[in-house]
Amino acid sequence: MIVVTLVAASLAIISLDYRAGSQGPLEAAGRAVSSAIAPLQRAVSSVVQPIGNFFTSLGDLPRLAARNEELERQIRELKIQAQLNVELQRQIDSLEQLVGLKVIRQRSVAARVIGSGVSNFDWTITIDQGSNAGVTVDMPVVTGTAAAAELVGRVVRVTPVSADVELIIDRSSAVAGQLSTSHEAGIVLGQGDRDLRMDLLKAGIRFDPHEPESVITLGYEVNGQPGIYPPGLLIGTVSRAYSDPDAVDSFVTVRPAVDFSTLQHVLVLKGGRKDSL
Amino acid sequence: MVLVAVIVTALLLQTTVFPELTLLGVRPELLYLVTVVFAALQGPAEGAVVGFIGGLAQDFLLNTPKGITALTLTMLGYTVGLARQYITSPSPLLPAVLVALGTAGGVAFHQTVAFLLGEDPGPFSYLAKVILLTAIYGAILTPIFYPALRRAVAATHAGRVVRF
Repeated sequence: MIVVTLVAASLAIISLDYRAGSQGPLEAAGRAVSSAIAPLQRAVSSVVQPIGNFFTSLGDLPRLAARNEELERQIRELKIQAQLNVELQRQIDSLEQLVGLKVIRQRSVAARVIGSGVSNFDWTITIDQGSNAGVTVDMPVVTGTAAAAELVGRVVRVTPVSADVELIIDRSSAVAGQLSTSHEAGIVLGQGDRDLRMDLLKAGIRFDPHEPESVITLGYEVNGQPGIYPPGLLIGTVSRAYSDPDAVDSFVTVRPAVDFSTLQHVLVLKGGRKDSL
Repeated sequence: MVLVAVIVTALLLQTTVFPELTLLGVRPELLYLVTVVFAALQGPAEGAVVGFIGGLAQDFLLNTPKGITALTLTMLGYTVGLARQYITSPSPLLPAVLVALGTAGGVAFHQTVAFLLGEDPGPFSYLAKVILLTAIYGAILTPIFYPALRRAVAATHAGRVVRF
């Protein structure tokens, strides 16, 4: 009876994987399948994304010309800035040599988003850089520039050529964050398709309704070990505050800074664990 | 070989194209669609095999305990294959209806098992929304994919040497 066999096989796989966690033979098989499918995903998404962009940008046509002008102006400014930076870097290098100081620099890997999670209950993306590029599990993933970074999530699985990133909106994601003006700490929890929920450690914080309050990563330490995320990455802005001075616990909802549906390029921060602060 | 191509294509579309083509934020469940169509055309045993292989392939891309989708789709393929033998309706809409019902039942079953294994279920409203919209989306996509899947089924028959 083929069905009985297959059901038994499924149950065996479930219990085996449930026990083994991320070390089991099934996880290895899963990584093999993922790395086999990654080049195909990359090929398909390089065709599909421009089409998607075209339709998204149709609605934006009136704004595109102004945006283009703005970007060109920024490029000119940045070019000048870059030249200045080269000069500054040279000065820093010589000063470093002088003092013998070793500045730890955040290194990062740029990656392209080549796919999304397969299920409606998983908020993950697949990127086209893996262990070959030095990406390992738990590395923080951001977008924007390394200087003004917006938090995307963290790496949860790597293959040689790809990596799966759990977005901060995933239900199993929890990030230590703090409010930018009051510096109150809290845990930012993923809520799937809704805004993030930030459980605050202190109740009754007052918010100025006219001033958007942003939430950044806290960069805590546990037993002398820094957390996954370096401090200061932008998570989002408070979209709704439930401020009841008498409440035992209080929370706010946070709108993520990143638009995950149109995300195409990300940076994986290497050594985020060691080099933070 | 044809089956592998169908499953890989479904997974690729599911992870690259359909995240951009969502129905009110929900993407379809293409592997459920493939399983139901194969089961309806070929019967319970073949449906179970297709469901198992397709489900396992999808499980490998997930971080939840692997095997849940394989279990779901094995039983879905078997059930649809069995039920199909008792349905005599000549309606051309039958595949779409089967896909809608199969997807709704399958997603509900999958999330129940995941919940029993300790996965965070999330709010019930979101689950209900996903069940409803994946069923509707599956029904919409069935007429588009049905001809190709039927040809794939015919191809697996032609090339088959060993029968289960």
